[in-house]
Amino acid sequence: MSILSARVWSPYAAGILIGLLQIPAFLLMNTALGASSSFVTVAASIASFFDPAVNAIPYFKAHVSTAKDWWQVALVVGVAAGAFISAKMSGTTRPAMSEMWGRVMGIHSFPLRLLVAFAGGFVLLLGARIANGCTSGHGLSGLSQLAVSSLIAMAAMFASGMAISAVLKRA
Amino acid sequence: MSVYLAVAIGLAMGVLFGLALEKARVMEPGFLIGQFQLTNFTMIKVMLSAIATGLVILAVLHGFGIVQLSVKTALVGHMIVGGLLLGVGIVFAGACPGTAMAQLGAGYKDAWAVIAGGLAGGYTYGLYQKQIDTALDWSGIGLGNLGKMTLADLLPGGFVTLALIFAALIVVGLVALERWRPWRVEMERHDPTSGPGRSAGIAPRYAAPAE
Repeated sequence: MSILSARVWSPYAAGILIGLLQIPAFLLMNTALGASSSFVTVAASIASFFDPAVNAIPYFKAHVSTAKDWWQVALVVGVAAGAFISAKMSGTTRPAMSEMWGRVMGIHSFPLRLLVAFAGGFVLLLGARIANGCTSGHGLSGLSQLAVSSLIAMAAMFASGMAISAVLKRA
Repeated sequence: MSVYLAVAIGLAMGVLFGLALEKARVMEPGFLIGQFQLTNFTMIKVMLSAIATGLVILAVLHGFGIVQLSVKTALVGHMIVGGLLLGVGIVFAGACPGTAMAQLGAGYKDAWAVIAGGLAGGYTYGLYQKQIDTALDWSGIGLGNLGKMTLADLLPGGFVTLALIFAALIVVGLVALERWRPWRVEMERHDPTSGPGRSAGIAPRYAAPAE
């Protein structure tokens, strides 16, 4: 299919498709598009495998109990699958790490990049869980509902992201 | 709903989400940092297109009483601190939670570390939720819980009218943005990938000048 084998799509077409996903999210799942709480569902499930007492912690208990929790885990797994299919169908290839990291942060070694990536991922999800949403849950879904919470969270996200990026080299 | 059906729906929706993220290159770390540096406006184009679409969809679905809104509670301290950490995380991870998964599928191996760090970060919040929630309850300085507030609670007109007005404003803004920064030019300049229709893995801006 030419849509799938196309190298790139316009950002507007991609955005409209992502926005249309709110229809099944609201109609079938009674919720909005989101990604970050799935990390809690998976982390708590892994941890409870080693220590069943984890399931008694209220926050984890609330994230591993409903079909909606596993819907979101499936959603983010599907995101990886969709990106894989998209890259394969168009013959698009990428290196193990973006060469941008060398330009922007002077990171040329893969092990060093893994350390920074882990730390970045840690802060990313800690922040997303504190804010109760990420770029998807707040940025896309919250703003689509004119939510004040999402306006504050997204303003803060762009403020810190822009402040740090300003002292880095051009991406 | 059974978990199996929920998982099947999630997978199908996720595949479409992942397709869009990869095709638009909005999962590229350089595109996210480029947006923060105001050198590449792809991320905001994708986000605003999705938001405008969502606004129209919810104006219809909520306006006709078919669905309830799913608005997150505005705990001001949580939104500010959580949002600030999100921005820091995006820069060093080179991804948001959703786009990290897209990077994984698209071939970036360092996304595994982002996801592992993310699992640890999400787990850490769950472990220390009480302490964090107490520290971020700023109701003493008037920045406490605003509830599930939307702009429809602050502005006249009601949700449906406001949603359609904001959607229209976004469309006008995107038309202007496209005139200023055409997406094809941005894509040609910043797309770091290799493949058919793309001779080198280095964007033209960084390629050696022709002899």
